[in-house]
Amino acid sequence: MRTGAMDIAEDAMSLASGVSGEVEVFAESARTTAIKVYEGSVESLVSAEPQGVGVRVINCRRTGYAYTADLSRAGLEKVVESASANAEVGDSDEYVALPEPRGDYPEIGGLWRDGVSRLSAEEKISLALETERAALSVDEIETVEEAAYQDGEWRTALVSSTGISAFSESSFCYVYASAHASRAGSAQTGLGFCAGREPSELEPGTAGREAATKARSLLGAAPCPTGRYTVVFDRDVYAAVLSVLAQALSAEAVLRGRSALVGRLGHAIGDSQVDLLDDGLHPDGMATSPFDGEGVPHQRTQVISGGVLQAYLHGTYTARWEGRGAESTGNMRRGSYRSTPGVGATNLILASGSGSLEELIGRVGEGIYVSNLKGLHSGASSITGDFSVGVEGHLIEGGSLGRPVREVTLASDLISLISGVTDRGADSLWVPFYGSVLTPSVAVADVMISGE
Amino acid sequence: MSLHVLTQDVADSVLRRLLRKGGDFAELFAEDRRSLSLRLEDRQVEEVCTGVDRGASLRLIQGKTTYFGYTESLDVAAIEALADRLSAAGEGNEGTSCGLHVVSVDTRHPVLIPPSTVDVSRKADVVRLADETARSDRKEVRQVVASYSDSAQEVVVANSQGTFSRDERTRVVLSLTVAAERNGAVQSGRKTIAHHGGYELLEDAAVRRGAERAADAAVVMLDAGPSPARRMPVILAGGSGGVLFHEACGHGLEADFIAKGTSVWCDMLGEQVAPPFVQAYDDGIFTGGWGSATIDDEGTPCQRTTLIENGVLTSFLTDVLRSDRLGFELTGNGRRESFRHIPYPRMTNTYFGPGDVNREDLIADTANGLYARSIGGGQVDPATGDFVFGVSEGYMVESGKITAPVKGATLVGNSREVLRGLDAVCDDLELEAGMCGKEGQSVPVGSGQPTVRLRELTVGGTET
Repeated sequence: MRTGAMDIAEDAMSLASGVSGEVEVFAESARTTAIKVYEGSVESLVSAEPQGVGVRVINCRRTGYAYTADLSRAGLEKVVESASANAEVGDSDEYVALPEPRGDYPEIGGLWRDGVSRLSAEEKISLALETERAALSVDEIETVEEAAYQDGEWRTALVSSTGISAFSESSFCYVYASAHASRAGSAQTGLGFCAGREPSELEPGTAGREAATKARSLLGAAPCPTGRYTVVFDRDVYAAVLSVLAQALSAEAVLRGRSALVGRLGHAIGDSQVDLLDDGLHPDGMATSPFDGEGVPHQRTQVISGGVLQAYLHGTYTARWEGRGAESTGNMRRGSYRSTPGVGATNLILASGSGSLEELIGRVGEGIYVSNLKGLHSGASSITGDFSVGVEGHLIEGGSLGRPVREVTLASDLISLISGVTDRGADSLWVPFYGSVLTPSVAVADVMISGE
Repeated sequence: MSLHVLTQDVADSVLRRLLRKGGDFAELFAEDRRSLSLRLEDRQVEEVCTGVDRGASLRLIQGKTTYFGYTESLDVAAIEALADRLSAAGEGNEGTSCGLHVVSVDTRHPVLIPPSTVDVSRKADVVRLADETARSDRKEVRQVVASYSDSAQEVVVANSQGTFSRDERTRVVLSLTVAAERNGAVQSGRKTIAHHGGYELLEDAAVRRGAERAADAAVVMLDAGPSPARRMPVILAGGSGGVLFHEACGHGLEADFIAKGTSVWCDMLGEQVAPPFVQAYDDGIFTGGWGSATIDDEGTPCQRTTLIENGVLTSFLTDVLRSDRLGFELTGNGRRESFRHIPYPRMTNTYFGPGDVNREDLIADTANGLYARSIGGGQVDPATGDFVFGVSEGYMVESGKITAPVKGATLVGNSREVLRGLDAVCDDLELEAGMCGKEGQSVPVGSGQPTVRLRELTVGGTET
């Protein structure tokens, strides 16, 4: 039994010679470490080596999929057989197909760095401990609910009967802390993080202090009056807004009528200063790799330019469905070998404006600064565009931060949150929590806030 | 099946290897899961997927530290190699035999028709039936997404406290999302039919009822106006409203939050937290419950735990680790998504016990307020108890009658206040199936309640 991702993929492919139709094999092999610390000692150390294979068969325009972690010859034979049998059950769909090779993949340097594998467990533990210590060093921080270091190295291989053969390896790591502040019966939590391709890029002290500062600044928060406000979204929070937009940008969602952006291509959906890029090749992005989940090269797609919607995100299937010369934009994403690829954004990048967050708040003058958002999954819909979420932050009075605010809701819709953009800071940051998004803090005019 | 290589003797030997250099607790959890899922969208069955998940994880607890690792293999040699890697972190002398004894509990969840015995094409017909039903007589229905999946999970758990148990969990679920459209406005409705049991769940009549419910919810919301934004009485309908108790109160009762002192319920055992007519349970043995099992994922037999009795908080939900540290009884709530995950205290099926108020009487008794028929989910800060929930299907209550549907309503409040604010519990208990996320792990849970009324709650909306 061979053990590398490419070896596994090729072995499975060699067993599929008798299968009717097109066959694609995706194999992955990863190594991950996750360390959590609490009150100065290690709470947990998890080391895992997930690996497995997923097989997609398209026969007479019908798709079957199967996956397994059993990499013995019998296991691989069984997974190929299951995928092939499943392709008999579904309905045929004229647009399903595997992509053809497009030539060489783009070279992206430095996606894999040896720091993650070189660093000892003890050194990784000390990064997590340092994050926790930094948070605890701030006044009024009672406990740090969670402080952690995580890393991973991923190797993926994809081969297909249409001639695709692709291999990629990458590394990623991050530290984060969730700090708990309390004062006179009032309690708040705040999150801070820092991510990189190898541990030497991490700044645990900054991440820990950020968590503490955020928690502390919200102490004593109370509802504010109901009304329409100019809202300054912290970059962390606007990343969440853009992640909902990302779902609506999927050509699959659009073609199926499940997107708030149906019929908007070529139309203004944002203020003229809004420029949004989907960039699968950015060296710093967490979603970066040479190819997507079905072996199509990643690319840069200008999604919104000058406020006008320029493109939806496509995979091979949606491009064939769309027709009229549409091509895959390399946006098939794959969670693991256990799932089929689906359309999704790679790295979303919103062009930045000018000045620090403080300067942005100064320019806005009066309004609300939102630093925390709650209930995104239930309260925001990429289908209807409805946006109704809980928010926390501070009033903006006379160009600076006023009293902290919580237990209020923000009700708007997706398009208004893009088209209402009036100003942007130059404080862009990669936010790895809702996909991979690089965005500055953003001011949006005339947003409904319900409080007291 | 391959799990049978993990006999009591093999497990004992693996645990001894893991304890080679000492440790307070050692555990082996192995799993073999066969699953099948398929999905209908745009009237077509498009993704048929078969999965084999198998592997074993080992956990070693030494002092305050947990060492955990897994291998995607059931090979004894691979598991032993993992034991050697993890034990290397410890310090001390060779462990002795763990004296494993079999904890055998009879399954309470009958599987009449094992899903593996049903032809895949019949499962495809189920999602087609749901699609046709949702579309018939409803011209506004534009999209139906129907997902079917079944899984058969065999587990073996052994630990150094002597437990050696096996369980088989068979689950079947059909999830329906219907989108309706009129004049460019789109609304969606959802319904999930699920249980711990076999394929018998999906009789045609049950599938039709579910599809009609999801479709009706989508269509009725097309007429919805903006929700008002103010404080008002809120009636939470039986079933889906239980999400609120699950999220706003249940998570804070999970003993890991108690252990860390970050729950609003710390030091509240024995306190009156709700009016005396309120009972609440976490019921891991609810027959056929979506969140039910026979043993939890640490080998502890599942049970029905009373959380609130006559308004008094009576119990937290524990796993082995927190039970040891806090000195609370084991409640059978040590759960994990798969062998790839460390167990945490998790809810199973959580619900308010039924009261004696008639639902119609309660509505008639409500002058003005919001009737939340369906809650979309939400978020809670366990430290403060502050929560926000979206109301996916809501109506105004005016002069004791349910009137116009409203959209965009959110419920904003605090978990302690919401329990104290319960002022009526009806007799129509209903449970709904869902997936609960915590610590990056998703586990099946049931949540439910009879229809209840909250005296007053902040409703967020777009209309002032």
